[in-house]
Amino acid sequence: MFPVVKRTTSRLQNHLRRWITSRQGIDPRELKLDSGRIYILPTRAGIIFAAIIFTMLVGAMNYNNNMGFALVFLLTGIAIVSIHHCHGNLKGLQIIALGAEPVFVGGSWQFRFALRDPARRARWQVAVSWDRGKPQFAELSALGETTVKLSHAACARGLAAAPRMLISTRYPLGLLRAWAWINMDLSGLAYPRPATSSTGEASGDYGQRDQGRAATGDDDFSGLRPWRPGDPTRRIAWKALARSGEKLISEYKAGLPAPRWIDWHSETAPDLEQQLSQLVHRVLSADAEGWEFGLRLPTQTVPPGRGPRHRHECLKALALMDGTSAA
Amino acid sequence: MNARGAIDRRREAPYESAGQLYWLVGAVVLSAFPHTPYVNPWIPAMVTCIALWRIILASRRGPLPPGWIRVPLTIIAFAGVLLTYRKVSGLDAGSSLLLVMAALKLLETRGRRDRAVVVFICYFLLFATFLREQAVWSPIYLCLAVWLATTALVQTARSGTSMPIRMSLMLSARIILQALPLMALLFLLFPRVPGPFWALPQTAARATVGLSESMQPGDITQLALSDKIAFRARFTGPKPASADLYWRGPVLGKFDGRGWQHGGSGFFPDLVNRVSAAGTQVSYDITLEPSGQRWLLALETPVEWDAPRAFVNSNFVLKRFSRVDRRLTYNAKSQLNGTTPGNLPGAARTFNTELPAGRNPRTVAWARERYAQSGDNRSYLQGLLNHFQDQPFFYTLTPPALGSEAVDEFLFDTREGFCGHYASAFAVLARAAGIPARIVTGYQGGELNPWGGHWVIRQADAHAWVEVWLDDRWERIDPTAAVAPDRIEFGMDTAVDRGTIAGAELRRASALLEQLALSWDAINAAWNRWVLAFGPENQASLLEWLGIREPNTRHLVALLTAGTLLSLSWLAWQFQGGQPKPDPLERAYALLCRRTARLFRARYPQETATEYAEAAAQHLPEIGNELQHLFRQYNELRYENTAEKDPGGLKRTRAFAERVRAFKPARPPEVARPA
Repeated sequence: MFPVVKRTTSRLQNHLRRWITSRQGIDPRELKLDSGRIYILPTRAGIIFAAIIFTMLVGAMNYNNNMGFALVFLLTGIAIVSIHHCHGNLKGLQIIALGAEPVFVGGSWQFRFALRDPARRARWQVAVSWDRGKPQFAELSALGETTVKLSHAACARGLAAAPRMLISTRYPLGLLRAWAWINMDLSGLAYPRPATSSTGEASGDYGQRDQGRAATGDDDFSGLRPWRPGDPTRRIAWKALARSGEKLISEYKAGLPAPRWIDWHSETAPDLEQQLSQLVHRVLSADAEGWEFGLRLPTQTVPPGRGPRHRHECLKALALMDGTSAA
Repeated sequence: MNARGAIDRRREAPYESAGQLYWLVGAVVLSAFPHTPYVNPWIPAMVTCIALWRIILASRRGPLPPGWIRVPLTIIAFAGVLLTYRKVSGLDAGSSLLLVMAALKLLETRGRRDRAVVVFICYFLLFATFLREQAVWSPIYLCLAVWLATTALVQTARSGTSMPIRMSLMLSARIILQALPLMALLFLLFPRVPGPFWALPQTAARATVGLSESMQPGDITQLALSDKIAFRARFTGPKPASADLYWRGPVLGKFDGRGWQHGGSGFFPDLVNRVSAAGTQVSYDITLEPSGQRWLLALETPVEWDAPRAFVNSNFVLKRFSRVDRRLTYNAKSQLNGTTPGNLPGAARTFNTELPAGRNPRTVAWARERYAQSGDNRSYLQGLLNHFQDQPFFYTLTPPALGSEAVDEFLFDTREGFCGHYASAFAVLARAAGIPARIVTGYQGGELNPWGGHWVIRQADAHAWVEVWLDDRWERIDPTAAVAPDRIEFGMDTAVDRGTIAGAELRRASALLEQLALSWDAINAAWNRWVLAFGPENQASLLEWLGIREPNTRHLVALLTAGTLLSLSWLAWQFQGGQPKPDPLERAYALLCRRTARLFRARYPQETATEYAEAAAQHLPEIGNELQHLFRQYNELRYENTAEKDPGGLKRTRAFAERVRAFKPARPPEVARPA
């Protein structure tokens, strides 16, 4: 009997979800929960509570016990009042999607959401989760604001839509659960998983890197200049930093070698994904070494550059690489 | 649900924190406490042990006891209750079961719902408490216990950590206060269905001390030792004299030689039109304590009453069809004197002159002899009263025990007795002379409470007197008055040496104490009358008061619905409550952000104060230090607890606001320069 009930309820739930989605459409990334989208139903504990109130009511009638009536009616009142408290705990809450940093395939996006209350009321036990996911509990003290991180596994490279969000609460007594579905059209970017080492034709690349090493030898040290975003960590003058508290970068006479290219065709892997992984590996190592590098793909070319921003551009290009055009 | 589902659920709903558990244990202890004197001592002992064990486990963060401990423990506990009470129904057995369940459930509080169930059991225990007792202090206990249990529910409904204590107490207090109007509404207007659906608990029968439909020598003596209240009465019009306060109870007409009974064949239509227009009528309200009997008490002779399903039988006793199982309030009117003569049917005359053959021979012989001497009924009876008065008869609460020929022994040997003895002897003497006579039991007198203005009639005021058929009407004769006239004039306390009357000693100990006792009783009377006796009749009069003619249940439901909707919309309005004004700190912070934004950019919603200040300082190095200082100050005020020295950080907030207002950075020239 139970599997039947379960199947029916899950079918009903799915139907309900579809209906809600079509009803609500896509939500903006900054959203204030209004009564129209907050649903509320008793929990199982609430149903047990109702049964207990009913039993006590019958008892009070039977024994004509007026204090019993008083207790029953007080508990009824409490249950009714808690509907308002439960609903009010979500109503007016503002949810702002802050997005997620890109991750490599196999990692998890951390979608961040800011919860705040423009009316500055305390909010307790607000559970934020993906639909059917494990909840994170957030509490807003009066005037407070809080951030919640929901993680979502990145299974494939490229852009992936985040699942629908569920924001719910059982506050204050756990007798009722109010919830709202939020469908914000969020997506996360997954870079291809980096290969552990590059297997491709490496001679030119490695040779050049050796030259680069030579060029950055101690002998050629020319002086220090202030740190700029994009400078490799490797070349921070740590001693100077410890002395003055200022980030300085060692500069070398030989200057930087000419930009190098990471080329699609220089790597030969059995399939597209492995090819991409190896390219990612090379981008990462080039970035870690602090080279100025460019990326040449069949569909797209990323001009030479350096720094996190550039690295992201290259990885993004790889992540969004269309498999059909590579052939 | 399959095993994996159960495990998932448990994982999802983590174990409670120690703080939550203390609340749970506290709620169990408070709701279990009033039951401890009533249940078998091993049950409270077990509850205490388990509660302590659970607290120790929680404070050590130890795991819950495994199933092989819990399951046998549960079986033993339930078997123990079963063996102790030999049943599971009934108040004592039932509350024992609840106590055991609450304690055992404490040992398996795995999830939110388990914890909620513990609190629900607490509510049920509370309910059972009121089945035992509904004293004046009950509402206070109700509020306190519900407050604590609801706070426990607030705490344990949370996942993980507990809420600050003060906050949780305030939250549940707020919920309860908001629920009170709804409770009052439901209490007043929820249609009450009269009558029990199943048997009442044993307490109703066990606790009943009072008159019964038979009287053996010494019966009323036992009642006289009880200080328990039988009923309270309040006169609405003229107040009768104390000597007129004969509260009529069962009439006993069948004598078996020793005791009197309400004869099975006693319902002869008493065709006497008893009430005449000439008498004085008094009107009064009575709040009758549950007696478990079918009669209601009224002054002699009741003429009007508003108690539902009540009637006056041929003996002029106010009765009703169902037993008085709960406190009952009714209004009655009685005629104190002046009855019109009538006819006593032959069968009734026979019944009321019947004496068992061969019993009490000395009495019968003596009576016939005296009757022959007097000749006239009235002078014969007067002679009997004089006999009681002149001869050494004593009125005492501790009469010697009497054998089977009780009237003989009393009249000629012991001559010590209580009202029952005198009434019984007098009725037998009258019957022996062929005069119809019967015993009336009831209460005489009472105690006037000057605070409440009502009379309190206790079981100690139980009385028995005689009615004889004289001049074509039943006439009340109280032989006790001949022996102890004070009993009738001033009540029980003055008539006998009251060393033995429970509570009476205390009541008379000092004037102050007596005043206290009287005011306490006045409160009790009001409580009983207005709260505990509230029932369908009161609802009807409430509706009538509201101007509804011929009120019925539909009116109640309509009114209740309207009231509930009204209070719900009031609640909704409360939660709407507009946008509260931001506090001064927030206002100052908003100003600071605006001033900074003029030079830099607006704060992103996701940016914290520190992040924004850092970004701004980097952009505006000239005023960077001051900016960062101000934002740091805001953070300190907002997030650091300054409550102890400076409540709410009010002084510091004002100083901060002052500084923000004074902070008017000039636009840096390079930004102002047009591009």
